[in-house]
Amino acid sequence: MGNRLLSVFAATTALMALTAAADAKTVVRMMHQGDPGWVALYGKVAERFEAANPDVDIELIYAPHDAYNEKFSSAVMSKQLPDIMELDAPFLANYVWSGYLKPLKSYVDKDLLDDMTASNIAQGTYPIDKELYAIGLTDSSVVLYGNKKYLEKIGARIPKSVDDAWTRAEFEDYLGKLAKVDGVKWPIDTFRGYGIKTEWVTYAYQPILNSFGCDLIDRKTWKAEGALDSKPCVDALTMMQTWVKNGWVVPMSSGTNQFYADGQPAALAWGGHWFYAEAAAKMKDDVVVMPLPKFGDKSASPDGTWIWAITTQSEHPDIAGKFLSFLLKDKDYRDYAVSQSAYPGLKSFAAQSPLYAEGGPMAVAFEQASKVAVPRPPHPAYPTITSAFMQAVDQIFNGEDTQKALTAAAQKIDEDIADNDGYPPFDGN
Amino acid sequence: MSDLALSPRKPAAPLNGYRIVQSISVFVIALVVISPLFMLFIASLKDDRFQILADMGSFRAFWVDNPTLNNFREVGNFAGELAFGRYLGNSLLILFSTVSLGLIINSMAGFILAWGSLPGRALILSLIIALYVIPQESIIMPLLIIVSRAGLSDTFTAQILPFVASPLYTFLFYQFFAQLPKELYEAASIDGASIFRTWWSIFMPLSLPALATVSILMGIEAWNQYLWPILITQTDYARPISVAIATFFGQDSIFWDRAMAASVLMMIPILVFYLAFQRWFISSFVGSAVKG
Repeated sequence: MGNRLLSVFAATTALMALTAAADAKTVVRMMHQGDPGWVALYGKVAERFEAANPDVDIELIYAPHDAYNEKFSSAVMSKQLPDIMELDAPFLANYVWSGYLKPLKSYVDKDLLDDMTASNIAQGTYPIDKELYAIGLTDSSVVLYGNKKYLEKIGARIPKSVDDAWTRAEFEDYLGKLAKVDGVKWPIDTFRGYGIKTEWVTYAYQPILNSFGCDLIDRKTWKAEGALDSKPCVDALTMMQTWVKNGWVVPMSSGTNQFYADGQPAALAWGGHWFYAEAAAKMKDDVVVMPLPKFGDKSASPDGTWIWAITTQSEHPDIAGKFLSFLLKDKDYRDYAVSQSAYPGLKSFAAQSPLYAEGGPMAVAFEQASKVAVPRPPHPAYPTITSAFMQAVDQIFNGEDTQKALTAAAQKIDEDIADNDGYPPFDGN
Repeated sequence: MSDLALSPRKPAAPLNGYRIVQSISVFVIALVVISPLFMLFIASLKDDRFQILADMGSFRAFWVDNPTLNNFREVGNFAGELAFGRYLGNSLLILFSTVSLGLIINSMAGFILAWGSLPGRALILSLIIALYVIPQESIIMPLLIIVSRAGLSDTFTAQILPFVASPLYTFLFYQFFAQLPKELYEAASIDGASIFRTWWSIFMPLSLPALATVSILMGIEAWNQYLWPILITQTDYARPISVAIATFFGQDSIFWDRAMAASVLMMIPILVFYLAFQRWFISSFVGSAVKG
């Protein structure tokens, strides 16, 4: 009797184990940010993928944009990194150096890799091993928006391409003239309202340094002293400080809407590509889109946005890559991105985006990506670089001596690099 | 009949310079407190998210030409992982569980510290007060690791349990209980009441102001939790409404219209909660002031 019971128990257990194994699905977790439109879209794409791959369960982990870094840190600390994660491109080097990301070329469809724009490849590549660690449908840029009525009043030349961007002399001359135009309270909004806790300051103002012929850090020696505190950088930020002192720049306390707010008090806007949607919605054809000015010998524009990577904790990178490929080719995903004025990071997506196509209102923004885009420094010390620079800019705009603030920022960056033994192999060893 | 009805009404004080300044000050303070809430409500009735931004910083922020409930409808059709009402339900569950358990645990601790025969009471009390100065943010990462290793990630428990015991509320209860007459405790002891019975049947019914104060403060704290639920939850299953509202603040676009409507909806339960307890809450503050 005892033996029979034991046999029945063993058979039942084996059957249950078999059933469980048959029901067990491979779970792939994807961490992302985004507004309700994106959240809903990822859910639908995941459903479609699961329908085509019934043995896979895509689990979506949403983290709000403003708390994404905290969520990422907590995932690292609790060893709960997802299979796929969205990340802000300039932080890629830090994540790869820390060992969180896998090279993804062998997991993502080749046609997608071939479809990436040069800027998209740059934002996803780790400079040490030259491997691609992330891919995105989109990229980003900053352009100079102008209020057509005000520009006509001062007789400003409207540049049509990167090659005929305003020079520094023209730009500052126009700022001075715009300051005197009726209705203009501030000649330019540089979006100080985004504050210094976002990436904005480094992202949007680094091109000014690059155009002046300097950089946040020397990209060969990886030293900030001698680069960020050099004369061209000091001149660049002294110029911006003068704009602030002259009362030409929308102050931080006035928010980010002064270009199109009631009465349109700001005449120009140094704004991200996403700003076009809101400006055009309120001002229609009165919005003029221009390339960023050329302050020195060359123009420069920023790039980089939120892109997708596969983490080293993923036990199923092949399925993760398959889902990423599925997502990046998904028609609804692309259609929604177009509706959000997303800036193309894939050539095939650029062809689907009339806003950025030749003759489109934002064509000049896309032209910048192929001609003058400069990524933020792809170095593991980037979190320190951006925080030190943002703090320095804030101090400079509040009246601090430019040389002093930039020297302190450069020292802070170099100290972090020294504290980490040069982040080998970035130290050249 | 309420106490108020029995109280003789004070004659109105004559209008002098002091009274005018006092009235103006009260009016200005009330305006400062109410105007952001009013602006929030007005913005929730505007259909155009860009117009909301355009109006900010001017008096138009306090006026709506064509009020609409569209934003509330959009929030109702929230396209997140869960329905918006479910997030609201999650928040209410977290709120009531945290407050109920918190009242019991903290009042028990406060009572024992005030009247119990615990050895080293003074030292324990000093340690509890010392704990209060440690900001929650500084322990969030160790707490995260403890809760994750306990296998509680992604649960309601993870959002309730760590916040039930609080040095501040234990101290508040201790302070309140310690001020009650010693005779109450002695009479209960003579009558043979256990310490649990004395706490529950004698001291707790006399502690409505303290209970209300702790309920309100703890409720607001639990309701406004934002970072912790993001860190400790992976899926939306147990996430509160504050995290759902954050969805409206995207990378490139902020849906001010829906965020405002959702914020109005988020405010309603906590306002009701406050109104339910505010009578005792205020009397607790007045009492504290009188007792010095």
